[in-house]
Amino acid sequence: MPAGGYFGRALVVDASTGVSETLTLPDDVLRAYVGGAGLGAWLMHRLAPPNLDPLGAEAPLAYVFSPLVGTPLTTSAKFAVVAKSPLTGMLTDALASSHFAIAGKLTGYDAIVLRGARATPSVLLIDGTGARFEDAADLAGLTAAQAGARLRQRLGRGWRVAAIGPAGERGVRYATISHDGRHAGRGGLGAVLGAKRVKAIAVRAAATVAPADPDAVLAAARDLRARSFGPATAKYRELGTLANLLAFNAISTLPTRNFQAATFEGAPALAAEDLAAMRKVARHSCASCTIGCEHIYKAKGGRTTRVEYENVFALGPMCGVSDPDAVLAASALCDDLGLDTISAGGTIAWAMECAERGLIDAPWLRFGDADALLRVIAEIGARDGLGDLLADGSRRAAERVGGGSDAFAPHVKGMEMPGYEPRTLHAMALGLAVNARGADHNRSGAYEADLSGELDRLDGGAAHVAAAVETEDRAAVMDSLILCKFLRGVFTDPFTEWAGLLSAVTGWAVDAPELRRTARRIVLAKRVFNLREGWRPADDWLPERLLAEPVRLASGREAGLTPERLRAMIDGYYDARGLDDQGRPDQAQLADLRLS
Amino acid sequence: MVLAGGRSSRMGTPKAALEWHGSTLLRRTVGILARATGGPVVVVRAKGQELPALPRDVEVIDDPREGKGPVQGIAAGLGALSDRADVAFVSSTDMPFLHPAFVRRVLRAVYEGADVGLPIARGFPQPLAAAYRTSLAPMAGQLVKEDRLRPAFLFEQCAVTRLDEVALRDDPVLAALDPELTSVVNINEPDDYRTAREQPAPEVTIQRFGVLAAQNRRAPETVRAATVAEAATAAGVDFAAGHVTAALNGDQITRDGQTPLATGDTVFFLSADAGG
Repeated sequence: MPAGGYFGRALVVDASTGVSETLTLPDDVLRAYVGGAGLGAWLMHRLAPPNLDPLGAEAPLAYVFSPLVGTPLTTSAKFAVVAKSPLTGMLTDALASSHFAIAGKLTGYDAIVLRGARATPSVLLIDGTGARFEDAADLAGLTAAQAGARLRQRLGRGWRVAAIGPAGERGVRYATISHDGRHAGRGGLGAVLGAKRVKAIAVRAAATVAPADPDAVLAAARDLRARSFGPATAKYRELGTLANLLAFNAISTLPTRNFQAATFEGAPALAAEDLAAMRKVARHSCASCTIGCEHIYKAKGGRTTRVEYENVFALGPMCGVSDPDAVLAASALCDDLGLDTISAGGTIAWAMECAERGLIDAPWLRFGDADALLRVIAEIGARDGLGDLLADGSRRAAERVGGGSDAFAPHVKGMEMPGYEPRTLHAMALGLAVNARGADHNRSGAYEADLSGELDRLDGGAAHVAAAVETEDRAAVMDSLILCKFLRGVFTDPFTEWAGLLSAVTGWAVDAPELRRTARRIVLAKRVFNLREGWRPADDWLPERLLAEPVRLASGREAGLTPERLRAMIDGYYDARGLDDQGRPDQAQLADLRLS
Repeated sequence: MVLAGGRSSRMGTPKAALEWHGSTLLRRTVGILARATGGPVVVVRAKGQELPALPRDVEVIDDPREGKGPVQGIAAGLGALSDRADVAFVSSTDMPFLHPAFVRRVLRAVYEGADVGLPIARGFPQPLAAAYRTSLAPMAGQLVKEDRLRPAFLFEQCAVTRLDEVALRDDPVLAALDPELTSVVNINEPDDYRTAREQPAPEVTIQRFGVLAAQNRRAPETVRAATVAEAATAAGVDFAAGHVTAALNGDQITRDGQTPLATGDTVFFLSADAGG
């Protein structure tokens, strides 16, 4: 009998043969990894052969749910999609919120793993009768939204759909998977699904699962719901994450023109404070969420799109574009094609700089040119012309273009950087450098410490190391429970409160120290997967530009990050995590991972 | 470095703890020095002297020899800093109008080669609003041993750049922000304190971001505020609740409402949960 909230099994579907099998998930593994990103890491260790090609047939891709999915706890309708990334060659896990989480889990499994590849375009259907494939020739080339709508029409009520757009079909290494407009965005999971010739996965609930203590879960849900309406979530509720843009610009933390500056003169034109009044047409919530962070804007011409800080940063300041209509159109185009906006924007910004330096023969591609931005996004989605080069991301493109362009390729481990300037956020600089997924703000939220006022964001040291470890640990737990990080501010004693939620759902007597050990285990399991796949110490680093070129603050002060300071922080991080000076764990740590 | 160990005999109460816009004179002084120099900041006190609350990164050291005057305090403070800094700005605790631009201008004299940058302003040399090379610590200590306790004895033995008012005002930033060189005004008696306290707070610019800028409150505004907390009050921002931070001149971020402000500052109020 599995613990409350779990089925205790994963469904493993072979796309090549159409045969499915059930993998038992032992109780000790579930307790050690919880679910979501944590359990996904364990599944990849278990099911992915070493040194596999992430776009090869043997590569597994896992949808991993969590014990909280299906409970009334706010923001819990989430799942992780986990695979070896075709962008980084390392582990990636992308989270999304959607009714797909509930329907997927209630197929009767804690995870659905797909491996193998179809001979022809297909969809995978999973419900109470098991898993089967159907032809998807009619869905080829459609956007994810179109494919989802057509599939739901075909299948009828109760089905929830995950689908890729044209970019996933064409193997763009940062293609997304979409679920009711919410994307598993980072790391190219859409390309992994596309390589299997699976356009979509549809799921329908057929089972039930109960928490161990329903009354306690209900009480916790009521409490959390009430707290989710408070000031800690006001920013997300009222303006959304785009509220960051103008604030980050004011404190020189807004990466601009491929990290050539940390402030953008065009930022006011993109500011949520103004755009919201002019363009916002709706505010939505994810499934099972009481925060309501989705802010829907309308561009000229009537097209609506969901606006977040990261897509506006990446397609706006990063590319030097300040026309809000162009940025909204570019964001909508990325959604249609199924492209990760952060990697798209970062790769395009790098290409704009290359073009301006004469390293790429594309005189039409210039910073600030909105038409060029839209053209190159379309080319990437089609892998057409210059887009074929850029579809592989900035790291691979720089390797091919040469000319020193790798020094300003804005990535860590191949993943393009989010909108947080490391030179003025030193804890975040460390977090970006060492995180297993690559340059990513959702697995390492160390910017919280930089922006808290509790430490000097320009003077990275021991306090920044501690902050980076703590925020990475918190993210590991939230991504495995799974709870939305926009809720993080409502928890005053996070590990204790999260342990209480997990205990109520599962029936385990989990306490905060155990959950802290769980966090460290999950972080380490990801690192160990990367070690297996060829990670080197040099992969825990930042782009050369960020360590060589200071930026100027509004106060007149120059801010920078030296290689020596970053090295010292990384060494401190390895020490804090119990790793050796090459970033490797010892045997005792490996044994705790339960991988054998 | 702040010398806090004086007897405050004319004031009749410890000057370090005098109230200053919801804060204290010493808190203000260490805050101004931290902002101007980037730290570290050392407070030199008499052994056992009680001090008001200070930021946790301020280092407090005891002056090992009481009653020996400012040169003894300078020797102790420079000695404490010499392993971390080449130059120190030495301040008394009783200059409520000290401006970061003044500190930076005076420090520049030592960066440019002098051992001491000594302002001569408002009619007097200002050895307790001056910059010193920290390597002077042994020399200052030796003078104390010889009972030569006036700063002038120290100046006789090293390279001093004297900065008169013309030289000080040559700095355009200082000339704009503290044209009357009120930075060196100190308070010794209750009437001085009363007069100083009656002066209007510095003129600063505030700007709100994100949800704080709702209802058309995004534009910068000019207000008078001596601390971040006063600026928050003027901005209508609930700073004490913990959901808001302040960025000073686009540079350091703080949740400390007692962070001192000076004329010309800009304070950005941001959501504490910045990020995505």
